[in-house]
Amino acid sequence: MVQSAVADEVFHALASSTRRRVLEQLSVGPATVSELAAPFDMALPSFVQHLSVLERSRLVKSRKRGRVRTYEIAPERFAVAEDWLMARRQLWEARLDRFDQYVKQLKDEESGS
Amino acid sequence: MSQHVTIDPTLDFAIERFIDAPTRLVWDALTRPEHLKEWYMPRQWGRVTHAEMDVRPGGILRIDIAVGDGPEVPNLGCILDVEPMKRLVWTSMLFPGYRPAVFDDIPITAIITMESVGSGTRYVFTALHRNEADLEANKSSGFYAGTEIAIDQFVEHVKSMA
Repeated sequence: MVQSAVADEVFHALASSTRRRVLEQLSVGPATVSELAAPFDMALPSFVQHLSVLERSRLVKSRKRGRVRTYEIAPERFAVAEDWLMARRQLWEARLDRFDQYVKQLKDEESGS
Repeated sequence: MSQHVTIDPTLDFAIERFIDAPTRLVWDALTRPEHLKEWYMPRQWGRVTHAEMDVRPGGILRIDIAVGDGPEVPNLGCILDVEPMKRLVWTSMLFPGYRPAVFDDIPITAIITMESVGSGTRYVFTALHRNEADLEANKSSGFYAGTEIAIDQFVEHVKSMA
């Protein structure tokens, strides 16, 4: 595929069998942290770290409702993972969108005061 | 130093923007920790837990982040070149004080240039990455071969779900 032989977050995320199994489970449908953790003989904090790595790679996304956090797979990320440079670019495009928004806000605050 | 920079389109990218705000504000938002915290991370995704920037050559660039309820992830780099309201260059290839860095990520050198245009600012964000020889070295380690297969499988799988 892909030029993706690169140490992107995605590759880091996939470099663990635990995380790959989590992705397999999520590919069937969304699941809560405890559902995901159940098959593993692992302390919860360690397991949550694995989830964080996955989420940082944006292969999965999560939502918190009340006390329950639910994870689901983020298919769009798998597509962008096929081109690492595109993925990096999109990351920064999104970041600069927020940057622009923030600078405008600073400007408004300044002219307002 | 920017005249020595060569962009390789297979490795690097440049994003050019115009923003209707004075260059002074753009520079502040880029270089002051209290501002960095506000835009660096998507809110729904995580947050900046610690930001530090000593805006002079050799100075620290530190943007630690946390995703969800996850642990803090340090991001440490070194500032290389500063011309206030014109140019900022930093790299994650080095730790502060030009010390050779340890990392397991894709190191980046970022060059941000800006100029005042009318009442606004035009800026260019350029990201430079390592060359392909390094990528090939990574490939041959075997580590990525395994993960690449995993990605192929998952891409296939996720596409088949859609």
